[in-house]
Amino acid sequence: MYEKKSREASTASAAGGSAIIARGAGKAYRMYEKPVHRLWDLILPGGPRGKEFWAVRDVYLDIPQGATVGIIGENGAGKSTLLKLLTGITRPTVGEVKTNGRIASLLELGAGFHPEFSGRENIRLNCSILGMTEEETEERFHKIVEFSELGEFIDRPVKTYSSGMHVRLGFSVATTVDPDILIIDEALSVGDEHFKGKCINRLNEFQEQGKTTLFVSHDMGSVKSMCKHVVLMHEGRVLEQGTAEDVADEYLKRAHVRGNERMSAINRTTDEYPRWGSGEIRTGQVELFGPDDSATNVFQPGSPFRARIHFEAKETCKQPVFGLGVYRSDGTYVNGSNHLWRRSPIELDEVKAGTKGYVEMAFESLPLLQGAYYLTVFVYDHNKTAPTPIDHREHAVSFEVMDANHMQHGLLFLPTRWSVTVDGAEERVSAE
Amino acid sequence: MIQILKGLAHNRHLLRDFVVRDLKARYVGSSMGFFWSVVYPIMNLFVYLFVFQIVLQMTWSPDKSSQEVVLLMLVGIVAWTAFSETLSRATNTLVDNANLIQKVVFPSEILPVYITISALINLIIALPVVGLALVYGMMNPPTDPATVAAAQASGNLGIQVGAALVWLPVLLVLQGIFTAGIAYFLATFNLFWRDTIHIIGVVVTVWMFLTPIFYPADRMVTEGFGWMLTYNPMHWLLDMYRGVMVKNIAPDLQQLALFAGVALVSLFLGATFFSSQRERFPDLL
Repeated sequence: MYEKKSREASTASAAGGSAIIARGAGKAYRMYEKPVHRLWDLILPGGPRGKEFWAVRDVYLDIPQGATVGIIGENGAGKSTLLKLLTGITRPTVGEVKTNGRIASLLELGAGFHPEFSGRENIRLNCSILGMTEEETEERFHKIVEFSELGEFIDRPVKTYSSGMHVRLGFSVATTVDPDILIIDEALSVGDEHFKGKCINRLNEFQEQGKTTLFVSHDMGSVKSMCKHVVLMHEGRVLEQGTAEDVADEYLKRAHVRGNERMSAINRTTDEYPRWGSGEIRTGQVELFGPDDSATNVFQPGSPFRARIHFEAKETCKQPVFGLGVYRSDGTYVNGSNHLWRRSPIELDEVKAGTKGYVEMAFESLPLLQGAYYLTVFVYDHNKTAPTPIDHREHAVSFEVMDANHMQHGLLFLPTRWSVTVDGAEERVSAE
Repeated sequence: MIQILKGLAHNRHLLRDFVVRDLKARYVGSSMGFFWSVVYPIMNLFVYLFVFQIVLQMTWSPDKSSQEVVLLMLVGIVAWTAFSETLSRATNTLVDNANLIQKVVFPSEILPVYITISALINLIIALPVVGLALVYGMMNPPTDPATVAAAQASGNLGIQVGAALVWLPVLLVLQGIFTAGIAYFLATFNLFWRDTIHIIGVVVTVWMFLTPIFYPADRMVTEGFGWMLTYNPMHWLLDMYRGVMVKNIAPDLQQLALFAGVALVSLFLGATFFSSQRERFPDLL
């Protein structure tokens, strides 16, 4: 794979050739207006009826043995169909797909678990579904039970399991099968941190044993942390493939466009949020600007951020104070400020009826990490005993922070300085 | 079809696991367990006895004792139950196992077959009850003088059990082949036309009443519907079961060969249709 990285490909092929090859593979589904048309197609001449829909097309891949490859793309980009083709669950309509070795797919952990049976019984059946012989199952049975950490639950019916336990059992079975190719479809997002760690260890073992792993996700960050190579899918086609760094830029560009579309869709509905105040001044549109003063609703951690709040005075108003609150989508109040309570306050005089203007608040470097956020904007009258609302608008605008680099975790992007001292001498310093 | 048979042979362990799971699943959490395999046909028997013999006052023929009539009905019910249960369950089996077919590389050819086998095993579990009824029937021959006289006149020897029982496994296997063929067809067809699962319930009921299970076959002949029996393989099969189990009569070889032929054709057509469409199953679900 990856003409761009022929060095990687050649080392891998020296180790033993290709694990997965796709040549011009495509998959078309037929969409029928009415289900019964499918029956007409089967028994009557004059077909085919219905519209052809290409879920995936023109896919050329050559994944070397031992590679860990990430497949990313938005929902509906064809990731799942591609996986079904690669695993051999469904056949390509055109082109061909070849695989070398036993495949274990974690498309759905615990597919085929029967709720009434105990974990033990389900392990045996699942092993046999995954194509293991009885001897192989017997040999690995103990390991599976141990890895799943289900304890006494292993003898209880699977229907009594929590979803986390379900995933644990499924993962244990699927990875103990000892596949040559492992395919993971964001399955690891369930389960507690401890088990997640175990899973990652297991995946690392796989990599060390020179096994091929495909990891599917829509989150660039998690793909980047696990895979050197990335395949970017878009509208059923492979848009780009190469090293994670190469693909990340393209991905981010697209993610920005998509995020902006999503945000503007959300922002069209902001009228539904609470708004109160005496109403002498009404705030209007809230614009957001990113790097190079470009209007956007998608930002990266550390990028410049500026919010412009337009306003109009309906009646003459003495010394109004504009403010702004930053909230995370779950309602966490991240930050709030206004132009009065500052070391060098801006004090407005009278704002006359009918005047228009705008107020701006800027972060030189946006200190937020990946997530969805919203702004609440407000105008208050500070001449009364307690500040009194003139126009308080919750959820005035939404924006998203996308972090492709995942250099920090948590809520806030903070400038950090790291150093390592060995034998009393500061050896390396890294400031961010 | 060859492909399907190879697939079955290759996945025989998985097939066995599915059958075992199915038999267990039927009774997991039920207090009477396998006893239900036995109770179900008996309950059915009582219901139909009540309706046909008591309410409708139907007589089979003057030369048959009531014990014999009950046994003829019981044998019919037990065999028919396995057949009809397979058809209605197999129709939806691909849909029920959609997550396996769509998410795992899975030998779907075992699905209709495991249901067929599971139903046959249930049939076998119910056989001891038939056996007990046979023993009871033989120990209590008819005493009613009218029946005895009619039996002597027609040469009816009453309930007979003997060497013809060796044919029973042959009949069971043939029933399995015949049923599996229809099961393959229905399971596949249901993916194209999901109403199949609803239609099949009606079809099976109509078929059951058109098959002489609760009434004597001669009645259909005298009423001018004899042709229906001629074209009803299930009637041939039940006829042979009754001969083998209740009358100690080996199957008529011509009839046996005919049914075997129909069973093989059924399996051939069903399996061919199934395997011609199986690549599309993940897309059709």
